[in-house]
Amino acid sequence: MKYGVMRPGHVQIRVLDLDEAVRHYCDLMGMIEMDRDDQGRVYLKAWTEVDKYSVVLKESDEAGMDFMAFKVVSEDVLDTLRHKLVDYGVAVTDLPADELKDCGRRVRFTAPTGHQFELFASKLQTGKWGINKVNPEAWPRGLQGMAVTRFDHCLLYGPDVPGTTRLFQEVLGFDLGERVITPDDSQTLIGSFLTVGMKAHDVAFIEHAEPGKFHHASFFLETWEDVLRAADLISMTDTPIDIGPTRHGLTNGRTIYFFDPSGNRSEVFANGNYHYPDHEPVTWTADQLGKAIFYHDRVLNERFLTVLS
Amino acid sequence: MINNNKECDQAARAHQIRVVNASKGFVSREDTNLLVSMERANQSHVLVGCRGGGCGKCRIQVLEGDYQSKKMSRAHIHPGEPEQGIVLACRIFARSDLTIQPLAAEH
Repeated sequence: MKYGVMRPGHVQIRVLDLDEAVRHYCDLMGMIEMDRDDQGRVYLKAWTEVDKYSVVLKESDEAGMDFMAFKVVSEDVLDTLRHKLVDYGVAVTDLPADELKDCGRRVRFTAPTGHQFELFASKLQTGKWGINKVNPEAWPRGLQGMAVTRFDHCLLYGPDVPGTTRLFQEVLGFDLGERVITPDDSQTLIGSFLTVGMKAHDVAFIEHAEPGKFHHASFFLETWEDVLRAADLISMTDTPIDIGPTRHGLTNGRTIYFFDPSGNRSEVFANGNYHYPDHEPVTWTADQLGKAIFYHDRVLNERFLTVLS
Repeated sequence: MINNNKECDQAARAHQIRVVNASKGFVSREDTNLLVSMERANQSHVLVGCRGGGCGKCRIQVLEGDYQSKKMSRAHIHPGEPEQGIVLACRIFARSDLTIQPLAAEH
């Protein structure tokens, strides 16, 4: 949080069929529908989040991610970061308050990887879902399916991961928590896992020729047992699976990947590494990428590298 | 809540899917998309990606037969292609016996 960027705030995901998508994110994954707007967008939250929503679903002719946003600590910090972006040579677009329901003004920019990002400082806080603000119970009854606890991060594929990483570090104050480099003398950065706090990652990038591709949105669970239960639910509902349950070498998380009904990949995971600002980045070399990504199989499946939306 | 414990619909009709230049085809029920039917038959004529119409891995051309299709990402199926039978196998449901030709995935 060096320069006042606090956490991932929201992600807007394009879906081919809104009703099918709502069933995936709510009935299967356990998010809660909070609102809809006159553009037909649906606003969802996971139960431990204090802000009103973290996922926005938008019906479209094409799957993928429209934008991912980070919440910053104040409107003043938002102004400062806007200026820093402009000074760094990044074009910004200002979006007015309430373009997304109950969200303050947003500053949007495009990273060298081709993805759109936003910064914002204000969003209506409705509190954790289903429990009181004072003397809260452990968890709310009535959660569906996997009962994901929070939107955690996105993994995005695109060109110029080194340039994008520098932008996030130098302008926005992210730390490089973990990385993948080529095993040759150039030690070129091809995988970048960036964090603003103690999490292993808040956003991650993998080098890829085509810009703006969406690999997955990830949601947090507490335990390995929860990941196995998620796997059971994926089978019970005949939801298309990618891989898992397994462990990642990178981030050390315990994970499963599956697809929403429009072909956008979802992850739920538990545990994993933590990060402090004095930590050297955890480093994997590209010749060990199989183990870095799938710690048990130690072999990458083609689908994980090339199936993107 | 989705519970998948629905009664097995024995009445769902099934159709033969012939694959150009392949010795063996597979059977596809009317309630199951072509790609999943192929996977269940342990065959691999067509690349398997997201199985949801978003990634474009399973592009095929239907040369003969009738089918119904769900919405497909316009990033992978372009205007005019559905009229030529170019579709994503994960989004179509056979309504008669079909003859299909796998195509290269497009990005």
